[in-house]
Amino acid sequence: MPEKIVVDARNMACPGPITKLTKAYRKAKPGDIIEVLATDPGFKPDVQAWVQRTGNELLELKEEGGVIKAVIKVTAKK
Amino acid sequence: MAEKKQILVLGGGAGGLITGNLLAAHGYQVTIVEKSDYHLFQPGMLWIAFQGHSPERYIKPVAELVKPGVELVKGVVSEINLADRLVRLSDGREYSYEYLVVALGAAYDYDAVSGNKELLERFGDFYSGAEHAQRLWQSFSSLREGTLVVAAADPSYKCPPAPHKAAFLAAETLRKKGLLGKVKVVLALPFVHEYASKNLAEIIAPKLKEAGIEVRTMFTVESIDVENKKLYSLEGEELSFDVAALIPVHRGPLVKVAPEDAVDDDGYFKVDKHTLRIEGYDDAYAVGDCNNTPTSKTGVTAHLGGEVVAERIMGYDAVFTGRTNCPLVTDGEALFVISDYEHPPVDVRFSKFKRLLEDMFIAMYWPSLRDPEKWSPLFRAYFEATSPEKLAQLGW
Repeated sequence: MPEKIVVDARNMACPGPITKLTKAYRKAKPGDIIEVLATDPGFKPDVQAWVQRTGNELLELKEEGGVIKAVIKVTAKK
Repeated sequence: MAEKKQILVLGGGAGGLITGNLLAAHGYQVTIVEKSDYHLFQPGMLWIAFQGHSPERYIKPVAELVKPGVELVKGVVSEINLADRLVRLSDGREYSYEYLVVALGAAYDYDAVSGNKELLERFGDFYSGAEHAQRLWQSFSSLREGTLVVAAADPSYKCPPAPHKAAFLAAETLRKKGLLGKVKVVLALPFVHEYASKNLAEIIAPKLKEAGIEVRTMFTVESIDVENKKLYSLEGEELSFDVAALIPVHRGPLVKVAPEDAVDDDGYFKVDKHTLRIEGYDDAYAVGDCNNTPTSKTGVTAHLGGEVVAERIMGYDAVFTGRTNCPLVTDGEALFVISDYEHPPVDVRFSKFKRLLEDMFIAMYWPSLRDPEKWSPLFRAYFEATSPEKLAQLGW
């Protein structure tokens, strides 16, 4: 069963959010959804670069009230 | 019956020695439990592995590093029971305490990445002791052509600039031997940019280029094929090597802790980030790499945390700020990555003067462990003069 993994990286400076995403990704299974919450403005371009490099699917990327939310579907893991 | 100690310090690394020696200098009865007879200056492993330094330079007997009057117990801590105020060693000895200071450092999980153990056996590494660093020097210095890859198995590891230092020191050695170009240095980083934080990546990237170091970003090693000499990343890419130096996955110290929720999922002690008190206890602290503070795992944070804990036990309202001062050395120059809880790393420049300063810090390491009460004022002046607030205004 695919799972939804929430990574709360709010109030963490760069590279905290991507570090937490990498740690979550190591444990994730194909089909899992990883939702990352971050407040570091650098996270937005970083997560786009990460998704492009890893070949996973970015379902959602939005900023609301200073919080960036990225929803990633794990599609690149075999 | 457990023998009761006034101050029981677990671990004779930088954090444990600073805390214990400071308290001893103020008349406290201090007992330090340490598993090894020797203390290793951990950054020294870089110089052993990539410049062929003799390990003797970076190793001293722990007995020479404790103040007279400090009781040194050789033993392996196997169990810490915070609720019962009881510490058990692997040989069955038991101690209770008035105050406990856990300074056991981080441990490595060589099983987390398949092939890591085999890689360590074959080439050594620069994280797990002088012998492995020497083995890496033998592997690296016998390369006449090919590729040296410096990589990490996880983005959280001790000393954020360590892989960069490894690459720069290796490139310097190759330049001196006239082998730069024949032997390629590849730095594979688990970050989006050439350094953990983007602003410093922009400062460091041109230096890496100048030194002829090739960088691969977003490469977190997931598995290793030692036979065919390939690293595979979590991000889905691969890298070939002739010699590879991998920073292993870190975790908290390998001890049984009661209650279990005093440590987090990775085994790090959960502490108040400002007082370093273990959550829920007013008589137990964790300093240095073994705690879960959201700052870098470095000797400097262990040192500063140790001072805070010693002062708090003495009754002062000292606060740990999360201050870092991570040196990144290149061929002849250095910079310090300076940050704290409130400030991300500030923009800083490389300079020859900072390299001189770093060489001085290394020379001051041994006396500052043994006599922290004499050296702390000096360090305090340095840390105040280079606070992130000041540097943000003045630049450095």
